Amino acid sequence: MGFDQFVAERLDRLLGYATAITCDKHLAQDIVQNVLMRAQNKWERIGAMDAPYLYVKRMVTNDYLSWRHRRAAREIAVERSELAKHVPSEADPADAHAEREAMRARIAVLPRKQRAALVMRYYEDYSDAEIAHVLDCAESTVRSQLSRALQTLRAHEIARSATLGVQS
Amino acid sequence: MNDLIRSAIAAEAEERVNSRTVLAELHKRKARKPFGLIVGVATLTVAAAAAAFIIPTAIKKTDAAPATSPAAPVSAANVLLLGMDEVGNTDALVYAHFNADSSVSVVSLPRNVKVGDDQLYSLYAQDPKKLTAAVETLTGTKVDHYAAIKMSEFGRIAQIVGGVEVCLTAPAKEEYSGVDLPAGKSTISGDQALAFLRQRHDLPNGDVDRTRRHQAFLTGLAAKITKDNALPFAREISKTIKVDAGWDVVEFAQRFQGPVKIQAATLPTEATILNNGPAYLAVNPGVAKAFVENQFAGNGAVQDACVN
Repeated sequence: MGFDQFVAERLDRLLGYATAITCDKHLAQDIVQNVLMRAQNKWERIGAMDAPYLYVKRMVTNDYLSWRHRRAAREIAVERSELAKHVPSEADPADAHAEREAMRARIAVLPRKQRAALVMRYYEDYSDAEIAHVLDCAESTVRSQLSRALQTLRAHEIARSATLGVQS
Repeated sequence: MNDLIRSAIAAEAEERVNSRTVLAELHKRKARKPFGLIVGVATLTVAAAAAAFIIPTAIKKTDAAPATSPAAPVSAANVLLLGMDEVGNTDALVYAHFNADSSVSVVSLPRNVKVGDDQLYSLYAQDPKKLTAAVETLTGTKVDHYAAIKMSEFGRIAQIVGGVEVCLTAPAKEEYSGVDLPAGKSTISGDQALAFLRQRHDLPNGDVDRTRRHQAFLTGLAAKITKDNALPFAREISKTIKVDAGWDVVEFAQRFQGPVKIQAATLPTEATILNNGPAYLAVNPGVAKAFVENQFAGNGAVQDACVN
Protein backbone atom coordinates (compact mmCIF):
# COMPACT_ATOMS: atom_id res chain seq x y z
CA MET A 1 0.00 0.00 0.00
CA GLY A 2 1.32 3.43 -0.93
CA PHE A 3 1.72 6.16 1.64
CA ASP A 4 -0.87 8.43 0.08
CA GLN A 5 -3.42 5.65 -0.04
CA PHE A 6 -2.69 4.81 3.56
CA VAL A 7 -3.22 8.40 4.61
CA ALA A 8 -6.40 8.69 2.59
CA GLU A 9 -7.85 5.56 4.18
CA ARG A 10 -6.58 5.85 7.71
CA LEU A 11 -5.95 9.47 8.64
CA ASP A 12 -9.39 10.19 10.05
CA ARG A 13 -9.41 7.04 12.17
CA LEU A 14 -5.88 7.73 13.34
CA LEU A 15 -6.85 11.23 14.41
CA GLY A 16 -9.81 9.79 16.29
CA TYR A 17 -7.56 7.34 18.07
CA ALA A 18 -4.94 9.97 18.91
CA THR A 19 -7.62 12.34 20.16
CA ALA A 20 -9.14 9.63 22.32
CA ILE A 21 -5.84 8.70 23.97
CA THR A 22 -4.61 12.28 24.41
CA CYS A 23 -7.97 13.89 25.22
CA ASP A 24 -6.59 16.90 23.36
CA LYS A 25 -7.34 17.34 19.69
CA HIS A 26 -4.50 19.78 19.11
CA LEU A 27 -1.93 17.56 20.73
CA ALA A 28 -3.41 14.67 18.73
CA GLN A 29 -3.04 16.64 15.52
CA ASP A 30 0.60 17.48 16.29
CA ILE A 31 1.44 13.90 17.11
CA VAL A 32 -0.30 12.48 14.04
CA GLN A 33 1.34 15.01 11.74
CA ASN A 34 4.79 14.36 13.12
CA VAL A 35 4.35 10.63 13.03
CA LEU A 36 3.11 10.66 9.44
CA MET A 37 6.06 12.76 8.34
CA ARG A 38 8.40 10.26 9.92
CA ALA A 39 6.45 7.29 8.61
CA GLN A 40 6.63 8.67 5.10
CA ASN A 41 10.41 8.74 5.28
CA LYS A 42 10.52 5.03 5.91
CA TRP A 43 7.39 4.04 4.08
CA GLU A 44 9.22 1.56 1.94
CA ARG A 45 9.65 -0.56 5.06
CA ILE A 46 6.37 0.22 6.80
CA GLY A 47 4.27 -0.16 3.67
CA ALA A 48 5.63 -3.66 3.17
CA MET A 49 4.51 -4.80 6.63
CA ASP A 50 1.48 -6.99 7.27
CA ALA A 51 -0.24 -4.27 9.25
CA PRO A 52 1.12 -0.80 8.49
CA TYR A 53 -1.75 0.73 10.44
CA LEU A 54 -0.74 -1.06 13.63
CA TYR A 55 2.82 0.11 13.23
CA VAL A 56 1.83 3.72 12.65
CA LYS A 57 -0.52 3.50 15.60
CA ARG A 58 2.40 2.26 17.65
CA MET A 59 4.39 5.31 16.59
CA VAL A 60 1.52 7.58 17.59
CA THR A 61 1.12 5.81 20.93
CA ASN A 62 4.83 5.90 21.68
CA ASP A 63 4.96 9.56 20.83
CA TYR A 64 2.21 10.25 23.29
CA LEU A 65 3.65 8.03 25.98
CA SER A 66 7.09 9.57 25.54
CA TRP A 67 8.41 12.19 27.92
CA ARG A 68 8.05 15.04 25.44
CA HIS A 69 4.33 15.18 25.94
CA ARG A 70 4.23 14.65 29.66
CA ARG A 71 3.65 18.23 30.56
CA ALA A 72 0.83 18.64 28.12
CA ALA A 73 -0.70 15.42 29.37
CA ARG A 74 -0.58 16.55 32.98
CA GLU A 75 -2.24 19.84 32.16
CA ILE A 76 -5.04 18.04 30.45
CA ALA A 77 -5.33 15.57 33.29
CA VAL A 78 -5.71 18.40 35.80
CA GLU A 79 -8.31 20.08 33.65
CA ARG A 80 -10.26 16.87 33.24
CA SER A 81 -10.07 15.97 36.89
CA GLU A 82 -11.60 19.34 37.66
CA LEU A 83 -14.37 18.49 35.26
CA ALA A 84 -14.77 15.09 36.82
CA LYS A 85 -15.37 16.66 40.20
CA HIS A 86 -18.03 18.99 38.95
CA VAL A 87 -19.89 17.07 36.31
CA PRO A 88 -21.64 14.46 38.46
CA SER A 89 -22.99 16.88 40.99
CA GLU A 90 -24.11 19.48 38.49
CA ALA A 91 -25.69 17.31 35.87
CA ASP A 92 -28.97 15.51 35.76
CA PRO A 93 -28.09 11.90 36.62
CA ALA A 94 -30.76 10.57 34.32
CA ASP A 95 -29.20 12.38 31.42
CA ALA A 96 -27.18 9.96 29.29
CA HIS A 97 -25.14 12.81 27.98
CA ALA A 98 -24.10 13.83 31.45
CA GLU A 99 -23.20 10.27 32.34
CA ARG A 100 -21.09 9.98 29.27
CA GLU A 101 -19.33 13.26 30.00
CA ALA A 102 -18.61 12.08 33.50
CA MET A 103 -17.12 8.88 32.15
CA ARG A 104 -15.04 10.88 29.67
CA ALA A 105 -13.64 12.91 32.50
CA ARG A 106 -12.77 9.80 34.47
CA ILE A 107 -11.09 8.17 31.51
CA ALA A 108 -9.11 11.35 30.94
CA VAL A 109 -7.43 11.09 34.31
CA LEU A 110 -6.39 7.45 33.94
CA PRO A 111 -2.68 6.76 33.52
CA ARG A 112 -1.80 7.23 29.89
CA LYS A 113 -0.89 3.66 29.11
CA GLN A 114 -4.09 2.37 30.67
CA ARG A 115 -6.07 4.84 28.63
CA ALA A 116 -4.29 3.83 25.43
CA ALA A 117 -5.14 0.19 26.10
CA LEU A 118 -8.72 1.12 26.91
CA VAL A 119 -9.12 3.14 23.72
CA MET A 120 -7.76 0.31 21.64
CA ARG A 121 -10.17 -2.12 23.26
CA TYR A 122 -13.29 0.06 23.17
CA TYR A 123 -12.67 2.32 20.17
CA GLU A 124 -10.68 0.03 17.90
CA ASP A 125 -12.03 -3.31 19.18
CA TYR A 126 -8.51 -4.71 19.29
CA SER A 127 -7.60 -8.07 20.73
CA ASP A 128 -5.11 -8.35 23.60
CA ALA A 129 -2.50 -9.43 21.07
CA GLU A 130 -3.01 -6.38 18.88
CA ILE A 131 -2.90 -4.04 21.85
CA ALA A 132 0.25 -5.78 23.07
CA HIS A 133 1.78 -5.22 19.65
CA VAL A 134 1.02 -1.52 19.67
CA LEU A 135 2.14 -1.01 23.26
CA ASP A 136 5.11 -3.29 22.68
CA CYS A 137 4.46 -5.30 25.82
CA ALA A 138 3.25 -8.75 26.85
CA GLU A 139 -0.43 -9.68 26.52
CA SER A 140 -0.54 -10.26 30.26
CA THR A 141 0.53 -6.64 30.72
CA VAL A 142 -2.30 -5.54 28.45
CA ARG A 143 -4.78 -7.51 30.52
CA SER A 144 -3.51 -6.02 33.77
CA GLN A 145 -3.54 -2.48 32.33
CA LEU A 146 -7.12 -2.97 31.18
CA SER A 147 -8.29 -4.54 34.40
CA ARG A 148 -6.73 -1.78 36.47
CA ALA A 149 -8.36 0.84 34.26
CA LEU A 150 -11.74 -0.86 34.54
CA GLN A 151 -11.31 -1.24 38.27
CA THR A 152 -10.70 2.49 38.65
CA LEU A 153 -13.63 3.38 36.44
CA ARG A 154 -15.87 0.89 38.22
CA ALA A 155 -14.87 2.20 41.62
CA HIS A 156 -15.84 5.68 40.51
CA GLU A 157 -19.03 4.36 39.06
CA ILE A 158 -19.97 2.57 42.29
CA ALA A 159 -19.09 5.60 44.37
CA ARG A 160 -21.12 7.79 42.10
CA SER A 161 -24.12 5.44 42.02
CA ALA A 162 -24.01 5.27 45.78
CA THR A 163 -23.96 9.05 46.00
CA LEU A 164 -26.79 9.32 43.53
CA GLY A 165 -28.73 6.67 45.42
CA VAL A 166 -28.59 8.77 48.56
CA GLN A 167 -29.62 11.88 46.68
CA SER A 168 -32.66 10.32 45.02
CA MET B 1 -20.51 0.02 32.05
CA ASN B 2 -18.81 -1.15 28.85
CA ASP B 3 -21.30 0.71 26.69
CA LEU B 4 -20.75 3.82 28.71
CA ILE B 5 -16.98 3.57 28.26
CA ARG B 6 -17.48 2.95 24.58
CA SER B 7 -19.66 5.99 24.09
CA ALA B 8 -17.39 8.15 26.25
CA ILE B 9 -14.34 7.23 24.19
CA ALA B 10 -16.27 7.67 20.95
CA ALA B 11 -17.30 11.12 22.13
CA GLU B 12 -13.69 11.96 22.90
CA ALA B 13 -12.59 10.73 19.47
CA GLU B 14 -15.39 12.77 17.90
CA GLU B 15 -13.47 15.89 18.96
CA ARG B 16 -10.72 15.17 16.46
CA VAL B 17 -9.69 17.88 14.06
CA ASN B 18 -10.75 17.67 10.45
CA SER B 19 -8.46 15.34 8.55
CA ARG B 20 -8.32 17.79 5.67
CA THR B 21 -6.56 20.27 7.96
CA VAL B 22 -3.94 17.65 8.68
CA LEU B 23 -3.62 16.68 5.02
CA ALA B 24 -3.04 20.30 4.06
CA GLU B 25 -0.40 20.64 6.76
CA LEU B 26 1.30 17.45 5.59
CA HIS B 27 1.47 18.72 2.03
CA LYS B 28 2.82 22.05 3.19
CA ARG B 29 5.55 20.40 5.19
CA LYS B 30 6.30 17.96 2.42
CA ALA B 31 7.09 20.84 0.12
CA ARG B 32 9.64 22.21 2.58
CA LYS B 33 11.51 19.02 3.28
CA PRO B 34 14.19 17.43 1.16
CA PHE B 35 12.28 14.22 1.36
CA GLY B 36 9.28 15.91 -0.20
CA LEU B 37 11.53 16.81 -3.03
CA ILE B 38 12.39 13.21 -3.56
CA VAL B 39 8.75 12.23 -3.49
CA GLY B 40 8.01 15.01 -5.93
CA VAL B 41 10.68 13.61 -8.12
CA ALA B 42 9.19 10.22 -7.65
CA THR B 43 6.12 11.28 -9.52
CA LEU B 44 8.12 11.91 -12.57
CA THR B 45 7.82 9.64 -15.49
CA VAL B 46 11.05 10.25 -17.25
CA ALA B 47 13.36 7.92 -19.08
CA ALA B 48 14.31 5.16 -16.73
CA ALA B 49 17.96 5.87 -16.77
CA ALA B 50 17.26 9.51 -16.15
CA ALA B 51 14.91 8.77 -13.29
CA ALA B 52 17.42 6.37 -11.91
CA PHE B 53 20.22 8.78 -11.43
CA ILE B 54 18.43 11.93 -10.47
CA ILE B 55 16.62 10.61 -7.43
CA PRO B 56 18.95 8.81 -5.07
CA THR B 57 21.10 10.24 -2.37
CA ALA B 58 23.56 7.38 -2.22
CA ILE B 59 24.98 7.80 -5.67
CA LYS B 60 28.63 6.97 -6.15
CA LYS B 61 30.51 9.94 -7.45
CA THR B 62 33.34 9.44 -9.86
CA ASP B 63 36.42 11.63 -9.83
CA ALA B 64 36.19 13.11 -13.25
CA ALA B 65 33.68 15.82 -14.03
CA PRO B 66 33.12 17.26 -17.50
CA ALA B 67 35.13 20.40 -18.15
CA THR B 68 31.97 22.45 -18.52
CA SER B 69 30.41 24.15 -15.51
CA PRO B 70 27.15 22.79 -14.08
CA ALA B 71 23.96 24.34 -15.36
CA ALA B 72 22.08 26.91 -13.30
CA PRO B 73 19.01 25.66 -11.38
CA VAL B 74 16.08 24.71 -13.56
CA SER B 75 17.73 25.80 -16.73
CA ALA B 76 18.09 23.30 -19.52
CA ALA B 77 20.79 20.68 -19.08
CA ASN B 78 22.41 18.12 -21.34
CA VAL B 79 23.07 14.79 -19.75
CA LEU B 80 24.87 11.84 -21.25
CA LEU B 81 23.45 8.51 -20.08
CA LEU B 82 25.71 5.53 -20.56
CA GLY B 83 24.83 1.86 -20.51
CA MET B 84 27.98 -0.12 -19.74
CA ASP B 85 28.67 -3.72 -20.66
CA GLU B 86 30.42 -6.25 -18.43
CA VAL B 87 33.93 -5.37 -19.61
CA GLY B 88 33.57 -1.59 -19.28
CA ASN B 89 32.70 -0.65 -22.83
CA THR B 90 29.85 1.72 -23.40
CA ASP B 91 27.12 -0.36 -24.96
CA ALA B 92 24.49 2.34 -25.19
CA LEU B 93 24.83 6.12 -25.30
CA VAL B 94 21.77 8.23 -24.75
CA TYR B 95 22.22 11.96 -24.90
CA ALA B 96 19.34 13.70 -23.12
CA HIS B 97 18.37 17.34 -23.10
CA PHE B 98 16.34 18.20 -20.02
CA ASN B 99 14.27 21.28 -20.69
CA ALA B 100 13.36 23.73 -17.96
CA ASP B 101 9.72 22.62 -18.32
CA SER B 102 10.86 19.05 -17.45
CA SER B 103 10.25 17.62 -20.89
CA VAL B 104 13.11 15.53 -22.21
CA SER B 105 14.52 15.21 -25.71
CA VAL B 106 16.75 12.26 -26.30
CA VAL B 107 19.23 11.40 -29.04
CA SER B 108 20.78 7.96 -29.09
CA LEU B 109 24.37 7.97 -30.28
CA PRO B 110 25.38 4.77 -32.07
CA ARG B 111 28.21 3.11 -30.20
CA ASN B 112 30.31 2.58 -33.30
CA VAL B 113 30.60 6.22 -34.31
CA LYS B 114 34.21 6.89 -35.24
CA VAL B 115 36.11 9.43 -33.18
CA GLY B 116 39.74 9.82 -34.25
CA ASP B 117 41.19 6.35 -34.10
CA ASP B 118 38.59 5.22 -31.61
CA GLN B 119 34.89 4.61 -31.47
CA LEU B 120 32.49 6.14 -28.99
CA TYR B 121 32.08 2.95 -26.99
CA SER B 122 35.71 2.75 -25.90
CA LEU B 123 36.26 6.34 -24.77
CA TYR B 124 34.60 6.28 -21.34
CA ALA B 125 36.83 3.46 -20.18
CA GLN B 126 39.88 5.45 -21.27
CA ASP B 127 38.75 8.69 -19.63
CA PRO B 128 35.21 10.01 -19.11
CA LYS B 129 36.44 13.48 -20.15
CA LYS B 130 37.54 12.08 -23.46
CA LEU B 131 34.02 10.84 -24.10
CA THR B 132 32.28 14.06 -23.04
CA ALA B 133 34.70 16.08 -25.20
CA ALA B 134 34.00 13.81 -28.19
CA VAL B 135 30.25 14.14 -27.73
CA GLU B 136 30.59 17.91 -27.47
CA THR B 137 32.53 18.05 -30.73
CA LEU B 138 30.11 15.68 -32.41
CA THR B 139 26.93 17.44 -31.40
CA GLY B 140 28.04 21.04 -31.00
CA THR B 141 26.53 21.13 -27.50
CA LYS B 142 27.90 21.21 -23.99
CA VAL B 143 27.71 18.02 -21.95
CA ASP B 144 26.69 19.26 -18.52
CA HIS B 145 26.69 15.91 -16.78
CA TYR B 146 26.92 12.22 -17.31
CA ALA B 147 25.71 9.07 -15.59
CA ALA B 148 26.78 5.49 -16.22
CA ILE B 149 24.97 2.27 -15.34
CA LYS B 150 25.62 -1.37 -16.17
CA MET B 151 23.29 -2.67 -18.87
CA SER B 152 23.00 -5.93 -16.95
CA GLU B 153 21.09 -4.06 -14.25
CA PHE B 154 18.18 -3.40 -16.55
CA GLY B 155 16.74 -6.88 -16.17
CA ARG B 156 16.52 -6.34 -12.44
CA ILE B 157 15.32 -2.79 -12.87
CA ALA B 158 12.45 -3.99 -15.03
CA GLN B 159 11.61 -6.51 -12.33
CA ILE B 160 11.50 -3.87 -9.59
CA VAL B 161 8.81 -1.93 -11.43
CA GLY B 162 6.85 -5.09 -12.20
CA GLY B 163 7.85 -5.43 -15.84
CA VAL B 164 8.17 -3.00 -18.72
CA GLU B 165 5.81 -2.97 -21.65
CA VAL B 166 7.38 -3.01 -25.10
CA CYS B 167 5.89 -3.62 -28.53
CA LEU B 168 7.46 -5.62 -31.35
CA THR B 169 6.55 -5.38 -35.02
CA ALA B 170 7.40 -9.08 -35.46
CA PRO B 171 8.10 -12.04 -33.16
CA ALA B 172 11.67 -12.07 -31.85
CA LYS B 173 13.36 -15.41 -31.33
CA GLU B 174 17.12 -15.59 -31.45
CA GLU B 175 19.48 -17.97 -29.74
CA TYR B 176 22.51 -15.82 -28.95
CA SER B 177 20.59 -13.36 -26.83
CA GLY B 178 17.98 -15.93 -25.80
CA VAL B 179 15.20 -13.54 -26.74
CA ASP B 180 11.82 -15.16 -27.32
CA LEU B 181 8.97 -12.69 -27.56
CA PRO B 182 5.78 -12.57 -29.66
CA ALA B 183 4.80 -9.77 -31.99
CA GLY B 184 2.84 -6.98 -30.39
CA LYS B 185 2.89 -5.89 -26.78
CA SER B 186 4.82 -7.84 -24.13
CA THR B 187 5.64 -7.02 -20.55
CA ILE B 188 9.26 -7.96 -20.00
CA SER B 189 11.61 -8.17 -17.05
CA GLY B 190 14.66 -10.11 -15.91
CA ASP B 191 16.36 -12.22 -18.56
CA GLN B 192 13.85 -11.44 -21.31
CA ALA B 193 14.35 -7.71 -20.74
CA LEU B 194 18.11 -8.18 -21.00
CA ALA B 195 17.75 -10.35 -24.10
CA PHE B 196 15.46 -7.76 -25.66
CA LEU B 197 18.08 -5.09 -25.08
CA ARG B 198 21.06 -7.21 -26.11
CA GLN B 199 19.93 -8.89 -29.30
CA ARG B 200 22.35 -8.00 -32.09
CA HIS B 201 21.73 -10.76 -34.60
CA ASP B 202 18.74 -11.22 -36.90
CA LEU B 203 17.69 -7.60 -36.64
CA PRO B 204 16.59 -6.04 -39.96
CA ASN B 205 18.54 -2.83 -39.32
CA GLY B 206 21.20 -4.14 -36.92
CA ASP B 207 22.39 -1.70 -34.31
CA VAL B 208 19.81 0.89 -35.33
CA ASP B 209 17.05 -1.49 -34.30
CA ARG B 210 18.89 -2.29 -31.11
CA THR B 211 19.13 1.37 -30.29
CA ARG B 212 15.41 1.77 -30.97
CA ARG B 213 14.83 -1.03 -28.50
CA HIS B 214 16.81 0.82 -25.86
CA GLN B 215 14.64 3.86 -26.40
CA ALA B 216 11.44 1.82 -26.33
CA PHE B 217 12.56 0.13 -23.14
CA LEU B 218 13.44 3.43 -21.44
CA THR B 219 10.14 4.97 -22.47
CA GLY B 220 8.25 1.90 -21.24
CA LEU B 221 10.19 1.97 -17.99
CA ALA B 222 9.50 5.66 -17.53
CA ALA B 223 5.80 4.89 -17.79
CA LYS B 224 6.08 2.39 -14.95
CA ILE B 225 7.76 4.71 -12.47
CA THR B 226 5.24 5.95 -9.95
CA LYS B 227 5.33 7.75 -6.66
CA ASP B 228 5.09 4.42 -4.89
CA ASN B 229 7.85 2.49 -6.59
CA ALA B 230 10.26 5.32 -7.28
CA LEU B 231 12.00 5.14 -3.93
CA PRO B 232 12.78 1.42 -3.82
CA PHE B 233 13.62 1.79 -7.47
CA ALA B 234 16.01 4.64 -6.84
CA ARG B 235 17.61 2.87 -3.93
CA GLU B 236 18.24 -0.19 -6.03
CA ILE B 237 19.63 1.81 -8.91
CA SER B 238 21.85 3.94 -6.73
CA LYS B 239 23.95 0.90 -5.88
CA THR B 240 25.31 0.65 -9.38
CA ILE B 241 25.07 4.05 -10.98
CA LYS B 242 27.89 6.55 -11.26
CA VAL B 243 27.55 10.23 -12.00
CA ASP B 244 30.15 12.94 -12.46
CA ALA B 245 31.50 14.49 -9.28
CA GLY B 246 30.35 18.02 -10.07
CA TRP B 247 26.68 17.16 -10.23
CA ASP B 248 24.22 17.99 -7.48
CA VAL B 249 21.60 15.46 -8.48
CA VAL B 250 19.13 16.37 -5.75
CA GLU B 251 19.18 19.97 -6.88
CA PHE B 252 18.78 18.83 -10.44
CA ALA B 253 15.85 16.67 -9.43
CA GLN B 254 13.81 19.67 -8.31
CA ARG B 255 12.60 20.32 -11.82
CA PHE B 256 10.65 17.07 -11.92
CA GLN B 257 7.32 17.51 -10.23
CA GLY B 258 5.00 15.76 -12.62
CA PRO B 259 4.79 13.53 -15.66
CA VAL B 260 7.60 14.04 -18.11
CA LYS B 261 7.28 14.09 -21.87
CA ILE B 262 9.99 12.15 -23.60
CA GLN B 263 10.96 12.24 -27.25
CA ALA B 264 13.62 9.96 -28.65
CA ALA B 265 15.58 9.74 -31.92
CA THR B 266 18.82 8.26 -33.17
CA LEU B 267 21.71 10.29 -34.53
CA PRO B 268 21.90 9.76 -38.29
CA THR B 269 25.11 8.17 -39.49
CA GLU B 270 26.47 8.47 -43.00
CA ALA B 271 28.41 5.44 -44.02
CA THR B 272 30.07 2.35 -42.76
CA ILE B 273 33.83 2.47 -43.01
CA LEU B 274 35.43 -0.92 -43.20
CA ASN B 275 38.71 -0.75 -41.39
CA ASN B 276 40.19 -4.21 -41.73
CA GLY B 277 37.27 -5.79 -39.98
CA PRO B 278 35.40 -3.68 -37.46
CA ALA B 279 32.68 -1.52 -38.91
CA TYR B 280 32.91 2.15 -38.02
CA LEU B 281 30.09 4.60 -38.47
CA ALA B 282 30.93 7.99 -39.82
CA VAL B 283 28.98 11.11 -39.00
CA ASN B 284 28.59 14.21 -41.11
CA PRO B 285 29.43 16.95 -38.59
CA GLY B 286 27.03 19.50 -40.05
CA VAL B 287 24.16 17.02 -40.28
CA ALA B 288 24.79 15.70 -36.78
CA LYS B 289 24.83 19.17 -35.20
CA ALA B 290 21.69 20.26 -37.02
CA PHE B 291 19.95 17.03 -36.05
CA VAL B 292 20.80 17.37 -32.38
CA GLU B 293 19.84 21.03 -32.37
CA ASN B 294 16.49 20.24 -33.96
CA GLN B 295 15.83 17.34 -31.59
CA PHE B 296 16.84 19.27 -28.48
CA ALA B 297 14.58 22.12 -29.56
CA GLY B 298 11.69 19.65 -29.33
CA ASN B 299 11.06 19.47 -33.08
CA GLY B 300 11.92 15.82 -33.56
CA ALA B 301 9.56 13.42 -35.29
CA VAL B 302 7.50 11.06 -33.15
CA GLN B 303 8.68 7.47 -33.57
CA ASP B 304 6.50 4.40 -33.98
CA ALA B 305 5.46 2.77 -30.74
CA CYS B 306 6.50 -0.69 -31.94
CA VAL B 307 10.08 -1.68 -32.73
CA ASN B 308 11.75 -4.38 -34.82
